[in-house]
Amino acid sequence: MALSTAPRAQRVRRQLPFSPWLFAAPGLLVTGVFILYPFVSTLVNSLTDRRTLIPGKFVGLANFRELLHDDMFWIGLRNSTLYVLGVVPALVVLPLLLALLVQKNIPGITFFRSAFYTPVVASIVVVGLIWVWLLDERGLINSLLESVGVGRVGFLSDQWLLLLSAMAVTVWKGLGYYMIIYLAALANVPRELHEAAAVDGAGAVRRFLTVTVPAVRSTMVLVGALSSVAAFKVFSEVYLMAGPSGGPAGEDTTLVMLVQRTGTGLTGRVGYASAISVVVFVVTVALMLLVLRADRRDET
Amino acid sequence: MPISRRTLAAAAALCLALPLSACGSGGDGGGSTDASGKVEGDITFQTWNLRANFKDYFEGVIADFEKKYPDTHVKWVDQPAEGYADKISADAAGGTLPDVVNVSPDLVAPLAKAGLALDLDKAAAKYKKEYLAGAWASHRIPGMTGTYAFPWYLNTGPLFYNKSLFKKAGLDPETPPKTYDDLFADALELAEKSDGKVATLANVPTIEDFGRYGVELMNKQGTAFTFNDAKGVQMLAKYKELYDAKALDPQALTATPESSGRKFLTEAVAMNPGSALDLGNFKKQAPNLYKNIGITDQITSTGHVNMYVMGVMVNSKTRHTPAAVAFAHFVTDAEHQMSFAKKVAIFPSTAGSLDDPYFTKEDGTDETRVRIAAAKSLKNAVNYTPVLFSEQMKTALRNEVAKALQGKESPKAALDNAVKQCNTLLQQQG
Repeated sequence: MALSTAPRAQRVRRQLPFSPWLFAAPGLLVTGVFILYPFVSTLVNSLTDRRTLIPGKFVGLANFRELLHDDMFWIGLRNSTLYVLGVVPALVVLPLLLALLVQKNIPGITFFRSAFYTPVVASIVVVGLIWVWLLDERGLINSLLESVGVGRVGFLSDQWLLLLSAMAVTVWKGLGYYMIIYLAALANVPRELHEAAAVDGAGAVRRFLTVTVPAVRSTMVLVGALSSVAAFKVFSEVYLMAGPSGGPAGEDTTLVMLVQRTGTGLTGRVGYASAISVVVFVVTVALMLLVLRADRRDET
Repeated sequence: MPISRRTLAAAAALCLALPLSACGSGGDGGGSTDASGKVEGDITFQTWNLRANFKDYFEGVIADFEKKYPDTHVKWVDQPAEGYADKISADAAGGTLPDVVNVSPDLVAPLAKAGLALDLDKAAAKYKKEYLAGAWASHRIPGMTGTYAFPWYLNTGPLFYNKSLFKKAGLDPETPPKTYDDLFADALELAEKSDGKVATLANVPTIEDFGRYGVELMNKQGTAFTFNDAKGVQMLAKYKELYDAKALDPQALTATPESSGRKFLTEAVAMNPGSALDLGNFKKQAPNLYKNIGITDQITSTGHVNMYVMGVMVNSKTRHTPAAVAFAHFVTDAEHQMSFAKKVAIFPSTAGSLDDPYFTKEDGTDETRVRIAAAKSLKNAVNYTPVLFSEQMKTALRNEVAKALQGKESPKAALDNAVKQCNTLLQQQG
């Protein structure tokens, strides 16, 4: 009864300490159940010899020690790292150039913007299969190469060409997404800067390097961070193109593919796969920090 | 009223713990091995990619069962072929494994080891004599006593070949290779005549190939793999010869059953294993190939083809053991296996069923000829897939075989490595 007679402002103030938590509860709950709990569970599992159907026991750092002697882990680490090195520069630079192309308001430009964005919304499985057909020994690309006298190229049978092909698909599929981010950043670049540079006699390349790039630098860092994390965690493209075994002799296996292969199925080694996941997490965080640190150093 | 941080933390922890508490094993109840009680209760039956083609058949079987046992209700769920093992493992780990599950021997092994498969030698021994002895034994696990699934349908899987490609290479299309020696000779000739453009095979050898070549896959006790013997090395060396001559497709190292099927469809490879369902596919998608299709038995140098066995397992944690056992037996008894076999090209595992005129009497059609030949070869077929051969072991073998074919390792070293890795995985399985 006291509440009903209390002034309105006082009622609100009385509920204040609890209210923010109430509003945050749904988000906290989802984060806790789907992010925090799996994360902690993975950390705990990485210290056990747990299998899919067997709870397992605490083994300390044995899984991590085993990783050091596992050839397949090093192959996975090599391929995931190469993926970052191959894909990230392309995804930082090419979408920016594409954004500059489609930024101009000329008739029909919407068509090109949509066309470049289409691969982003296409299913990766469908896209992967189409590229497998195109790059097949008897696919369209090899037929074209054969007709011009180059001969057939083993895009899907050579371990390095396979990895390069998967990288190409990742870049092709990601161009549109990062192009949109760059378009938003380019819209904020003052036109006067370009005009002033032009008056000073700067050509297109000079204006790009001295006006555009510094203006969108923070966006480039963002794209670099996002694409490096995504590239290190690559799974679908390589899995679809190299097959479940990870290419010839498993030489194209990436770390996330190794997690999937090791930890799933009725005889899956959940503990060992969790240890690989922890390594993926640590490297991913390190990559983010590296990119952000590079950005900060550039600023100072 | 101020709320302390401790109260808040406790509330947050409770919020987190509450939904998670629903994710427990849930399999505490039930678990009786006694199937002699009254057949009653609600049970769930899970099949492996069968709803699309056999919905009416299974609904009929379930209706008949519920009519026979009015106090039962069977809920039927069907899972897609892709990721079936993952679905079972998620259910098994989460305590939501259905009461009656369609399995293969290699899926039963880990479930039996985890105590999730009912031992039918104890719970359903009276039905044992209804099945072929070999089929009943196919769900026994090395190192364990007992049998962990009813045998269901059997298949050998025919080998398709392209008669036109054989003819072009100067080979007799009516006498396809039967043994591995024939296969290697024909494949090399086909590659040579087509200037390396037509391969005979699209896949690297699997554990079943080693078995059919006559390699001892495991020791007698089932405690270690032994396929790195002289015969195994000899076979892999021969495959290396095929790979170098392009008689084995260059993309074989990354091939999947789907990709090799596609290669056969586009006439890039001359031979491919498959099932009777593929014939309809060839007719629709590659009429030219269909006109030239040849069907033969699997290649074998032992005189025994490989037999694929499907089983029906009873969840040991079921709350309705009598109903689950009765239903698993009902689906797999001679009458129902026979009626299922007449709907699709599979073969019953029940004793005497293969002597039925349906599997012995010619009627002049190709379909019947294939069926009779397959039924005949099934009588002495062997299930070459070791029950304990897991997905991880398949990958280990495949990768080592690939290294040998690429010349990165000798066949001997590759097989030694594969055996070592498989034995380590076997030990880790416990």
